[in-house]
Amino acid sequence: MAVVGIDLGTTNSVVATVRDGQVVVVPNTQEGYLHPSVVSFSPEGLKYFSTDAVARRILDPKNTVYSAKRLIGLRFRSDEVQKALVRLPYELNEGNNEQAVFIGPDRTYTIPEISGLLLGYLRQCAELFLSESVSAAVITVPASFNDSQRRATMDAGRIAGLDVLRVLNEPTAAALAYGLGQNMSQRIAVYDFGGGTFDITILQVENDVFEVLATGGDTFLGGDDMDSALLNILAELFNAEHGIDPRGDQATRSRLLVAAEQVKRHLSDFPEARGDLKNIALGSSGEALALRFHIARSVFETAIRGLVGRTIQTCQDVLASAQLAPSQIDEVIMVGGTTRVPLVRAEVEKYFGRPPRTDLNPDEVVAWGAAIQAENLANAGESLPSRAVLLDVTPRALGIAVTGGFAERIIDRNVPVPVEQTRIFSTSSDNQASVRIQVCQGESRRFDENVPLGELELTDLQPARRGEVSIEVTFKVDTNGILRVRARDGATGAAREAAVNVRGAMSEYEVAEAAERQKSEEASNLPEVPEA
Amino acid sequence: MARMSTEQLAAFVRQVFPRLDQLSYYELLGVPSGSDQAAVRTAFYRLAADLHPDRYHTLADRGLKEQLEMIYARICEGYRVLTTPDKRAAYERALNQGKKRLTTTDRESRGPQNPEDSLKHPEAKKFFRMGMICLGRKDWKGAVMNFNFAHSFEPAAALIAQKLGEAQAALGKPGGAGGTPPKTH
Repeated sequence: MAVVGIDLGTTNSVVATVRDGQVVVVPNTQEGYLHPSVVSFSPEGLKYFSTDAVARRILDPKNTVYSAKRLIGLRFRSDEVQKALVRLPYELNEGNNEQAVFIGPDRTYTIPEISGLLLGYLRQCAELFLSESVSAAVITVPASFNDSQRRATMDAGRIAGLDVLRVLNEPTAAALAYGLGQNMSQRIAVYDFGGGTFDITILQVENDVFEVLATGGDTFLGGDDMDSALLNILAELFNAEHGIDPRGDQATRSRLLVAAEQVKRHLSDFPEARGDLKNIALGSSGEALALRFHIARSVFETAIRGLVGRTIQTCQDVLASAQLAPSQIDEVIMVGGTTRVPLVRAEVEKYFGRPPRTDLNPDEVVAWGAAIQAENLANAGESLPSRAVLLDVTPRALGIAVTGGFAERIIDRNVPVPVEQTRIFSTSSDNQASVRIQVCQGESRRFDENVPLGELELTDLQPARRGEVSIEVTFKVDTNGILRVRARDGATGAAREAAVNVRGAMSEYEVAEAAERQKSEEASNLPEVPEA
Repeated sequence: MARMSTEQLAAFVRQVFPRLDQLSYYELLGVPSGSDQAAVRTAFYRLAADLHPDRYHTLADRGLKEQLEMIYARICEGYRVLTTPDKRAAYERALNQGKKRLTTTDRESRGPQNPEDSLKHPEAKKFFRMGMICLGRKDWKGAVMNFNFAHSFEPAAALIAQKLGEAQAALGKPGGAGGTPPKTH
């Protein structure tokens, strides 16, 4: 039985394991190590994964799901999902418990089910490559992921038949892969700019102990945004020449997006990109119109300067919260494919005043760390040269709604986990029979400006005058960064616990059912993978 | 800096866990009270390397694991308090009053939001509250009556409709107060 580390990315995923003390990355069906995080459905209910599914982004955009990570653990009506909805060619709807669900050709799929399909595929790839069954995994998430997003990621793992040993923060995983701080004390910044998210994390590393000092990020900022910027440049070029905006057609838009991504990669290595895309649209007399383009790197850089600037601004905020200056950082580690963009490297070097480390493959480094941590947890790291311990922190403050529309904080941001804190509240009206405890994540004093996580109700309170009933609210965050809430009626002395109903999440029953279904379907849908 | 054997760990937990509330953060971290931040951190890192719950992920004894996690969480709390100047100052004051742990025992001036806060009509609020009291006493009939009153004052409120539905469902269940289940809204 093998354990694996999985970097479940917005755009690409990587799966790795430790064999004889060495990290091994599982290859995909082509010659690479990246598995595109794409799943496509045929009307007959067949599923295509990874590189097979990428081609279908153009052929069948309505039934091809990508960027599921942008949606996981979010309510359908959240700003993030609504924003994504505009750009995604596939259809989403609101399902049970405010979840976002994908409308597939055969049925609807929850987002953890989509990610579960991808994870199941990755598990099978690893099993074929290792000639061994894979039972457990460490799955990485952006450090800025909130509680619901972490839970939903764990649900996805369970649906894929995996024992999720840990949801690990991506930057922490990257630092682990670099194996820094042995026999010395170092302060490290992990600058992680991926396909869909940006994170900056500051770690203190000393003798195999990795402590996260501060972390912050933007769950809606990544290489995809650069692709969109390039798509707009391409579309404007076409519009200027032919007077037709090709963005109106969903299939053409998907094609342009694929082209934009290639242009971006090319511009990382060369000062300009030229190309010729045939059959973009039909002209007035029915003739096929082509898009010929010539884009200089400087034009691209002008378009993305604002995006890169936002990452530097986040770096400033996070360093400030750790009360550190850029000069106090000993090493800067680059993670994520987007750090290949020369402007990104230049801006990071300018801000930190030192060239960033790029010696490990920025696409694979997170999966490396995840594999090491999986080995650490499952086998007590027996085969590893060093046995690191990771001290993670809460990414955001946690609190509850109180009268007047305010949020009362119970656990601060950047507190080492595990942590348990209790606050005592009272009722605000006479003879109150129940209280509703609404839980939120975020630093704002206004409840509405934070992310709502869920709620629990404490009923059967003893009739009493306002203020006479005391309600103890205990928040506990475990090593996965997952929150448990307990509310106790202090007046009756009776301890009562209630489970938080997480909005936008699958129920226990739904997860178990989805896991069963996937298990039976997987047997008849095996991936093709090269021999080990 | 390693993982202890299960016997060593069990002995450690048996010794520390029952006294957890009697140990100051200094005692827990094993540092003298005047220690600076760097010394506290070094001590914490050494303890984390030995005691972090991740080290014992495969441990079968759940009870032992839980107690270890509680000890470790308290060590983390101590580390955070002692390395945050204003929290440390507050802790020194608490220690002088004989408290070993920095906790807020003050009751917050603001309470959690009440279910009826979202309602607008004062009569709807009143009957809703009475309905909730009935629900608590499992008086389904009374609850249905009160929620129906509340509903008549504020028909658009989804919360009332939801609670009315719950009360009606409970009333309709065998073993409830009997009668046919009224239609839900």
